[in-house]
Amino acid sequence: MELVKKLSIAKTAAYLGVTSTTLRRWDKAGKFLARRTSGNQRYYYQQDIDLYLQDIFAQAKAWVLGAPKEPESAFYCPTSSEFKGRLSKLQNALAKTPDLKEYYSIIVAVVGEIGNNSFDHNLGNWPDITGILFNYDVNKRQITLADRGQGVLRTLKRVKPSIENDEVALITAFTEKISGRAPESRGNGLKFVLQVILERDIQLEFYSGGATALVTKKSKKLSVQKVDVYYSGCLALIRY
Amino acid sequence: MRIELKKFGNMLTSRQDGKEALAAIEPQLKTISEHTIIEIDFEGVITFTPSWADEFITKLSDRFGEKIVLTHTENPSVKATLRILKELG
Repeated sequence: MELVKKLSIAKTAAYLGVTSTTLRRWDKAGKFLARRTSGNQRYYYQQDIDLYLQDIFAQAKAWVLGAPKEPESAFYCPTSSEFKGRLSKLQNALAKTPDLKEYYSIIVAVVGEIGNNSFDHNLGNWPDITGILFNYDVNKRQITLADRGQGVLRTLKRVKPSIENDEVALITAFTEKISGRAPESRGNGLKFVLQVILERDIQLEFYSGGATALVTKKSKKLSVQKVDVYYSGCLALIRY
Repeated sequence: MRIELKKFGNMLTSRQDGKEALAAIEPQLKTISEHTIIEIDFEGVITFTPSWADEFITKLSDRFGEKIVLTHTENPSVKATLRILKELG
Protein backbone atom coordinates (compact mmCIF):
# COMPACT_ATOMS: atom_id res chain seq x y z
CA MET A 1 0.00 0.00 0.00
CA GLU A 2 1.23 3.48 -0.84
CA LEU A 3 1.58 5.68 2.27
CA VAL A 4 2.15 8.96 0.48
CA LYS A 5 -0.70 10.29 -1.66
CA LYS A 6 0.37 11.08 -5.22
CA LEU A 7 -1.58 13.48 -7.42
CA SER A 8 -1.38 13.96 -11.16
CA ILE A 9 -0.65 17.43 -12.54
CA ALA A 10 -4.30 17.81 -13.58
CA LYS A 11 -5.58 16.91 -10.09
CA THR A 12 -3.01 19.17 -8.45
CA ALA A 13 -3.99 22.02 -10.75
CA ALA A 14 -7.65 21.56 -9.86
CA TYR A 15 -6.77 21.36 -6.15
CA LEU A 16 -4.81 24.61 -6.27
CA GLY A 17 -7.26 26.32 -8.58
CA VAL A 18 -4.75 26.92 -11.38
CA THR A 19 -4.16 25.33 -14.80
CA SER A 20 -1.74 22.49 -15.63
CA THR A 21 0.14 24.96 -17.84
CA THR A 22 0.66 27.23 -14.83
CA LEU A 23 2.02 24.29 -12.81
CA ARG A 24 4.44 23.40 -15.63
CA ARG A 25 5.61 27.01 -15.68
CA TRP A 26 6.01 27.07 -11.90
CA ASP A 27 7.99 23.82 -12.15
CA LYS A 28 10.33 25.27 -14.80
CA ALA A 29 10.76 28.48 -12.81
CA GLY A 30 11.51 26.52 -9.62
CA LYS A 31 8.54 28.15 -7.89
CA PHE A 32 6.73 24.89 -7.15
CA LEU A 33 8.68 21.82 -8.21
CA ALA A 34 6.99 18.71 -9.61
CA ARG A 35 8.28 15.19 -9.13
CA ARG A 36 8.73 12.91 -12.15
CA THR A 37 7.73 9.32 -12.86
CA SER A 38 10.15 6.99 -14.64
CA GLY A 39 8.27 7.93 -17.83
CA ASN A 40 9.01 11.64 -17.09
CA GLN A 41 5.39 12.50 -16.19
CA ARG A 42 4.96 15.22 -13.60
CA TYR A 43 3.24 14.37 -10.33
CA TYR A 44 2.99 15.86 -6.83
CA TYR A 45 2.84 14.51 -3.29
CA GLN A 46 -0.01 15.76 -1.16
CA GLN A 47 2.50 16.90 1.47
CA ASP A 48 4.25 19.09 -1.14
CA ILE A 49 0.92 20.73 -1.90
CA ASP A 50 0.16 21.22 1.79
CA LEU A 51 3.54 22.82 2.32
CA TYR A 52 2.97 25.08 -0.65
CA LEU A 53 -0.40 26.13 0.72
CA GLN A 54 1.14 27.12 4.04
CA ASP A 55 2.55 30.04 2.13
CA ILE A 56 -0.09 32.69 2.81
CA PHE A 57 0.28 34.30 -0.60
CA ALA A 58 -0.09 31.00 -2.46
CA GLN A 59 -3.17 30.33 -0.37
CA ALA A 60 -4.75 33.69 -1.24
CA LYS A 61 -3.85 33.25 -4.91
CA ALA A 62 -5.37 29.77 -5.02
CA TRP A 63 -8.57 31.17 -3.51
CA VAL A 64 -8.85 34.05 -6.00
CA LEU A 65 -8.14 31.82 -9.01
CA GLY A 66 -10.04 28.72 -7.92
CA ALA A 67 -13.67 27.70 -8.04
CA PRO A 68 -15.94 29.88 -5.88
CA LYS A 69 -15.92 28.83 -2.25
CA GLU A 70 -15.54 30.65 1.04
CA PRO A 71 -11.97 30.79 2.35
CA GLU A 72 -11.04 29.20 5.67
CA SER A 73 -12.95 31.02 8.39
CA ALA A 74 -9.75 32.08 10.17
CA PHE A 75 -8.83 34.34 7.23
CA TYR A 76 -12.28 35.20 5.89
CA CYS A 77 -13.81 38.63 6.41
CA PRO A 78 -17.30 38.52 4.87
CA THR A 79 -18.06 42.07 6.04
CA SER A 80 -16.07 45.26 6.59
CA SER A 81 -16.69 45.08 10.33
CA GLU A 82 -15.00 41.67 10.49
CA PHE A 83 -12.13 43.12 8.48
CA LYS A 84 -11.88 45.95 10.99
CA GLY A 85 -11.66 43.45 13.84
CA ARG A 86 -8.84 41.51 12.20
CA LEU A 87 -7.07 44.73 11.18
CA SER A 88 -7.08 45.77 14.82
CA LYS A 89 -5.36 42.45 15.69
CA LEU A 90 -2.73 43.16 13.04
CA GLN A 91 -2.23 46.63 14.51
CA ASN A 92 -1.64 45.08 17.95
CA ALA A 93 0.74 42.45 16.55
CA LEU A 94 2.82 44.99 14.59
CA ALA A 95 2.95 47.36 17.58
CA LYS A 96 4.99 44.69 19.38
CA THR A 97 7.64 44.56 16.63
CA PRO A 98 10.44 46.87 17.86
CA ASP A 99 11.92 47.87 14.48
CA LEU A 100 8.48 48.86 13.15
CA LYS A 101 7.83 51.37 15.90
CA GLU A 102 8.25 54.32 13.55
CA TYR A 103 5.93 53.11 10.82
CA TYR A 104 3.70 50.20 11.81
CA SER A 105 0.73 52.57 11.67
CA ILE A 106 1.59 53.20 8.01
CA ILE A 107 1.53 49.45 7.27
CA VAL A 108 -1.86 49.11 8.97
CA ALA A 109 -3.14 52.14 7.03
CA VAL A 110 -1.97 50.57 3.73
CA VAL A 111 -3.72 47.29 4.57
CA GLY A 112 -6.81 49.22 5.68
CA GLU A 113 -7.02 51.14 2.40
CA ILE A 114 -6.59 48.04 0.21
CA GLY A 115 -9.07 45.97 2.23
CA ASN A 116 -11.67 48.72 2.55
CA ASN A 117 -11.37 49.44 -1.18
CA SER A 118 -12.54 45.87 -1.84
CA PHE A 119 -15.66 46.43 0.24
CA ASP A 120 -16.37 49.98 -1.02
CA HIS A 121 -16.05 49.06 -4.70
CA ASN A 122 -17.97 45.78 -4.58
CA LEU A 123 -20.83 46.65 -2.26
CA GLY A 124 -23.91 44.88 -3.65
CA ASN A 125 -21.92 43.74 -6.70
CA TRP A 126 -19.90 40.72 -5.58
CA PRO A 127 -19.87 38.24 -8.48
CA ASP A 128 -19.83 35.13 -6.26
CA ILE A 129 -18.19 35.14 -2.79
CA THR A 130 -18.88 38.23 -0.67
CA GLY A 131 -15.99 39.73 1.24
CA ILE A 132 -12.25 39.28 1.38
CA LEU A 133 -9.51 36.93 2.46
CA PHE A 134 -7.10 38.67 4.82
CA ASN A 135 -4.14 36.87 6.32
CA TYR A 136 -0.75 37.78 7.75
CA ASP A 137 2.41 36.09 8.94
CA VAL A 138 4.36 38.27 11.35
CA ASN A 139 7.34 35.88 11.28
CA LYS A 140 7.70 36.04 7.49
CA ARG A 141 6.63 39.72 7.57
CA GLN A 142 3.98 39.21 4.91
CA ILE A 143 0.37 40.31 4.61
CA THR A 144 -2.08 39.13 1.94
CA LEU A 145 -5.46 40.48 0.91
CA ALA A 146 -7.68 39.04 -1.80
CA ASP A 147 -11.16 39.53 -3.18
CA ARG A 148 -13.22 37.88 -5.90
CA GLY A 149 -14.87 41.16 -6.83
CA GLN A 150 -15.20 43.22 -10.00
CA GLY A 151 -11.50 44.04 -10.29
CA VAL A 152 -9.92 47.43 -10.90
CA LEU A 153 -10.61 47.76 -14.65
CA ARG A 154 -14.34 47.11 -14.44
CA THR A 155 -14.66 49.37 -11.40
CA LEU A 156 -12.80 52.29 -12.98
CA LYS A 157 -14.47 51.93 -16.38
CA ARG A 158 -17.71 53.07 -14.74
CA VAL A 159 -16.21 56.52 -14.25
CA LYS A 160 -13.55 56.56 -16.97
CA PRO A 161 -14.74 54.46 -19.95
CA SER A 162 -11.61 55.33 -21.97
CA ILE A 163 -9.43 53.01 -19.87
CA GLU A 164 -8.67 50.27 -22.37
CA ASN A 165 -6.92 47.53 -20.41
CA ASP A 166 -5.87 46.21 -17.01
CA GLU A 167 -2.40 47.79 -17.11
CA VAL A 168 -3.82 51.27 -17.74
CA ALA A 169 -6.44 50.64 -15.04
CA LEU A 170 -3.75 49.86 -12.45
CA ILE A 171 -1.63 52.87 -13.41
CA THR A 172 -4.74 55.04 -13.15
CA ALA A 173 -5.72 53.57 -9.79
CA PHE A 174 -2.28 54.14 -8.27
CA THR A 175 -1.47 57.51 -9.78
CA GLU A 176 -4.58 59.47 -10.81
CA LYS A 177 -7.21 60.95 -8.59
CA ILE A 178 -10.32 59.09 -9.65
CA SER A 179 -13.07 57.26 -7.83
CA GLY A 180 -14.86 54.13 -8.95
CA ARG A 181 -17.81 55.24 -6.86
CA ALA A 182 -19.12 58.01 -9.10
CA PRO A 183 -20.50 60.59 -8.58
CA GLU A 184 -18.32 60.73 -5.46
CA SER A 185 -15.26 62.75 -6.34
CA ARG A 186 -12.81 60.90 -4.13
CA GLY A 187 -10.36 58.08 -4.48
CA ASN A 188 -7.09 58.85 -2.75
CA GLY A 189 -6.62 55.38 -1.25
CA LEU A 190 -4.23 53.72 -3.70
CA LYS A 191 -2.35 56.99 -4.33
CA PHE A 192 -1.75 57.11 -0.58
CA VAL A 193 -0.63 53.46 -0.62
CA LEU A 194 1.91 54.13 -3.38
CA GLN A 195 3.21 57.32 -1.81
CA VAL A 196 3.84 55.84 1.63
CA ILE A 197 5.38 52.56 0.49
CA LEU A 198 7.79 54.41 -1.83
CA GLU A 199 9.07 56.26 1.22
CA ARG A 200 9.54 53.22 3.43
CA ASP A 201 10.87 49.68 3.51
CA ILE A 202 7.64 48.16 2.22
CA GLN A 203 7.09 46.06 -0.89
CA LEU A 204 3.79 45.63 -2.70
CA GLU A 205 2.57 43.19 -5.35
CA PHE A 206 -0.95 43.99 -6.51
CA TYR A 207 -2.77 41.88 -9.13
CA SER A 208 -6.03 42.62 -10.88
CA GLY A 209 -7.31 41.33 -14.22
CA GLY A 210 -4.35 40.44 -16.43
CA ALA A 211 -1.92 42.91 -14.86
CA THR A 212 0.28 43.42 -11.84
CA ALA A 213 1.52 46.56 -10.10
CA LEU A 214 4.80 46.04 -8.34
CA VAL A 215 6.80 48.24 -6.01
CA THR A 216 9.92 46.54 -4.70
CA LYS A 217 12.11 47.75 -1.86
CA LYS A 218 14.99 48.09 -4.35
CA SER A 219 13.32 49.65 -7.38
CA LYS A 220 11.39 52.32 -5.48
CA LYS A 221 9.06 52.97 -8.37
CA LEU A 222 5.75 51.66 -9.62
CA SER A 223 6.10 49.02 -12.31
CA VAL A 224 2.96 47.76 -14.06
CA GLN A 225 3.16 44.66 -16.21
CA LYS A 226 0.95 42.24 -18.06
CA VAL A 227 0.66 38.77 -16.51
CA ASP A 228 -0.42 35.43 -18.00
CA VAL A 229 -2.91 34.55 -15.29
CA TYR A 230 -6.24 36.43 -15.08
CA TYR A 231 -7.35 37.62 -11.65
CA SER A 232 -11.03 38.50 -11.77
CA GLY A 233 -10.82 40.39 -8.46
CA CYS A 234 -7.77 41.75 -6.65
CA LEU A 235 -4.86 40.10 -4.91
CA ALA A 236 -2.23 41.90 -2.86
CA LEU A 237 0.96 40.86 -1.11
CA ILE A 238 2.67 43.30 1.23
CA ARG A 239 6.16 42.57 2.58
CA TYR A 240 7.72 44.79 5.20
CA MET B 1 -15.11 73.33 20.32
CA ARG B 2 -12.76 70.38 20.64
CA ILE B 3 -13.24 67.02 18.91
CA GLU B 4 -11.13 64.23 20.39
CA LEU B 5 -10.80 61.66 17.63
CA LYS B 6 -9.70 58.91 20.02
CA LYS B 7 -13.31 58.80 21.20
CA PHE B 8 -14.06 57.14 17.83
CA GLY B 9 -11.30 54.56 18.34
CA ASN B 10 -7.54 54.40 17.77
CA MET B 11 -7.91 52.91 14.29
CA LEU B 12 -9.80 55.24 11.94
CA THR B 13 -9.71 53.56 8.54
CA SER B 14 -13.00 53.06 6.69
CA ARG B 15 -15.30 55.48 4.87
CA GLN B 16 -18.29 54.07 6.71
CA ASP B 17 -16.72 54.77 10.12
CA GLY B 18 -15.78 58.29 9.00
CA LYS B 19 -19.38 58.95 7.93
CA GLU B 20 -20.72 57.64 11.22
CA ALA B 21 -18.29 59.79 13.22
CA LEU B 22 -19.41 62.90 11.35
CA ALA B 23 -23.07 62.01 11.91
CA ALA B 24 -22.33 61.60 15.63
CA ILE B 25 -20.98 65.14 16.03
CA GLU B 26 -23.56 66.75 13.75
CA PRO B 27 -25.85 67.91 16.63
CA GLN B 28 -22.89 69.78 18.22
CA LEU B 29 -21.92 71.36 14.89
CA LYS B 30 -25.40 72.80 14.51
CA THR B 31 -25.10 74.73 17.76
CA ILE B 32 -21.70 76.39 17.25
CA SER B 33 -21.45 80.10 16.68
CA GLU B 34 -20.00 81.75 13.60
CA HIS B 35 -16.59 82.50 15.16
CA THR B 36 -16.05 79.26 17.06
CA ILE B 37 -12.77 77.47 16.35
CA ILE B 38 -13.11 73.70 15.86
CA GLU B 39 -10.08 71.89 17.20
CA ILE B 40 -9.64 68.34 15.91
CA ASP B 41 -7.32 66.52 18.32
CA PHE B 42 -5.49 63.43 16.97
CA GLU B 43 -3.99 62.41 20.29
CA GLY B 44 -4.35 58.65 20.82
CA VAL B 45 -5.04 57.88 17.15
CA ILE B 46 -2.74 55.09 15.90
CA THR B 47 -3.91 54.29 12.37
CA PHE B 48 -5.46 56.92 10.17
CA THR B 49 -6.32 56.68 6.46
CA PRO B 50 -7.48 58.96 3.62
CA SER B 51 -10.78 57.04 3.35
CA TRP B 52 -11.82 57.93 6.91
CA ALA B 53 -10.37 61.42 6.58
CA ASP B 54 -12.30 62.09 3.34
CA GLU B 55 -15.57 61.50 5.13
CA PHE B 56 -14.73 63.52 8.21
CA ILE B 57 -11.84 66.00 7.90
CA THR B 58 -12.49 66.93 4.24
CA LYS B 59 -16.19 67.48 4.87
CA LEU B 60 -15.56 69.59 7.97
CA SER B 61 -12.93 71.60 6.08
CA ASP B 62 -15.32 72.18 3.18
CA ARG B 63 -17.93 73.46 5.63
CA PHE B 64 -15.87 75.42 8.15
CA GLY B 65 -12.66 76.24 6.26
CA GLU B 66 -10.11 78.09 8.35
CA LYS B 67 -12.05 77.63 11.55
CA ILE B 68 -10.67 74.07 11.65
CA VAL B 69 -7.46 73.57 13.65
CA LEU B 70 -5.66 70.22 13.78
CA THR B 71 -3.61 69.27 16.85
CA HIS B 72 -1.33 66.37 17.91
CA THR B 73 -0.73 65.27 14.32
CA GLU B 74 2.69 63.65 14.96
CA ASN B 75 1.67 60.04 14.26
CA PRO B 76 3.17 58.82 10.91
CA SER B 77 -0.14 57.67 9.39
CA VAL B 78 -1.85 60.91 10.47
CA LYS B 79 0.95 62.97 8.90
CA ALA B 80 0.95 60.92 5.67
CA THR B 81 -2.85 61.10 5.35
CA LEU B 82 -3.05 64.85 5.97
CA ARG B 83 -0.30 65.40 3.44
CA ILE B 84 -2.07 63.47 0.67
CA LEU B 85 -5.36 65.23 1.43
CA LYS B 86 -3.55 68.52 0.97
CA GLU B 87 -1.82 67.42 -2.24
CA LEU B 88 -4.84 65.86 -3.90
CA GLY B 89 -7.57 67.87 -2.25
